[in-house]
Amino acid sequence: MMLTLTIDRSLDDPVYEQVADQVRRLVASGALSPGTALPSVRQLAGDLGVNLNTIARAYRLLEGEGFLVIRDRAGVAVSAPANEIEHSARAQLLEQMRVTLARLRQAGMAHEELLSVMRREVLAMDGGKEGHDG
Amino acid sequence: MGEAAVVNLFLMLRVLLVGGIFLILPHITRKGLLFGVYVGEAFADRAEARRLLGDWHRGFVILMVVSLLVGFGISLAGRPVAGNFTGTAVLLLGGLGLYIRFHSRARGLALPVTEEQAKKATAPLVGGEPKGAGLAKLALGLCLLTSLAAFVYAVASYEGLWSDRSFVAVMFAPSLNLILSPFLALLALLTAHAKRSVRGGSGGRSVEAQDAFRASIANVISWLALLICAFMTILSVQIVRIRLSGTSSLGGGFWLMEGVMAGVVIVFALFNLIRILKRYGQGGALIERGSVDAPLTDGLADNVHWVWGLFYVDRGDPSIMVEKRFGIGYTFNYGNRMAILITATFLVLFLSLIALGLFGLTGGG
Repeated sequence: MMLTLTIDRSLDDPVYEQVADQVRRLVASGALSPGTALPSVRQLAGDLGVNLNTIARAYRLLEGEGFLVIRDRAGVAVSAPANEIEHSARAQLLEQMRVTLARLRQAGMAHEELLSVMRREVLAMDGGKEGHDG
Repeated sequence: MGEAAVVNLFLMLRVLLVGGIFLILPHITRKGLLFGVYVGEAFADRAEARRLLGDWHRGFVILMVVSLLVGFGISLAGRPVAGNFTGTAVLLLGGLGLYIRFHSRARGLALPVTEEQAKKATAPLVGGEPKGAGLAKLALGLCLLTSLAAFVYAVASYEGLWSDRSFVAVMFAPSLNLILSPFLALLALLTAHAKRSVRGGSGGRSVEAQDAFRASIANVISWLALLICAFMTILSVQIVRIRLSGTSSLGGGFWLMEGVMAGVVIVFALFNLIRILKRYGQGGALIERGSVDAPLTDGLADNVHWVWGLFYVDRGDPSIMVEKRFGIGYTFNYGNRMAILITATFLVLFLSLIALGLFGLTGGG
């Protein structure tokens, strides 16, 4: 099945965030495996009908987060997961997870449900199963 | 066969060919588009649409007859080449006028674009070089090298190059070759990278259909560029040799050879366009059809960015080429600076050459 990316300008989220979020999900679920080539900035921006800078910003963001590798000539590709995580990066990501968990708890998600969602997402990452939208 | 007879034959073939293509063009476009206007897929089967198409057929047949009468009339008065040009001009300008009239009628039937159509967009997440781009790059390189070599050969061979009217006599064909064939190859390269719109569900089938169509069109343009380059290089060399021999007229044999080469190019182009249209339909619509429930004009529904249904102008869209709404293949996005630059460069060079050809280059010595 062909992977696609959809943007919706009527949403509050900026377009580059929508692009980055979908790529993150696809990488995390294994649908985009390491080394997979992504469209060039120009091609993706043209196909979506958005500014080149919007896609370039999304790609740079994903590169900074370690999801993508941007090479001038070879284009954009999904990067391999790092063998070791830096101490500061780990601490930062864990802090983000704590905040997200707290927000989910505050939004009314029960303890068991929270654990179930997390378990499903982690399993989906490893096995490439559907794991979004718990 | 005399020169006048060959020129008149060219006019007749051109009118039949161009006129014939224009007659069937409204049937080639995606269902739901009428004279470049989005009217919705359901409308295509209604009596109103059929009446509009019937009027178009009648109008264009009359225009073809008029252009032939004008061309042959001028030819009979002793100016066959002028008759050829005038007849063609009547057909093209008249055809444009007729199209604009029918486009205006179709605009009255246009469907408004829904909020959802305007704000959502889906793209395939597939990287790598698109199919057809490799051949287009090769064609671009070969056309540039070959046409440049023919141009240099013509310059180096003809001593009285910048004397009275020598430009028309010797340099027209090599100069035209230097502009036309690399531009065509560039067009093939840009076509290989043209915009794709995902339609219906996940859109996988839709994108595959568009990719296949896009690659086929790009390949045909690449081969056309190579064919035209090869033929025009042969003609350029031939012209220089004839002129060097001191003959004032190129002769019927030369025109016959040109006719055969033009015939090969036209047959190649037509055969392949028919093949692509029968296999894929415009934009790959034939393959998409039946595999998705959504209207296949989805993504082409926005009438706002289309001028006369022919020219796409969207500054917010970085695409250089987009799918045509009337005709076969792709067209430029005139809201893109690169597209404007490419078109303007081609037009300036091409029209300058035509002007020099018509009025000659005098003086110098």
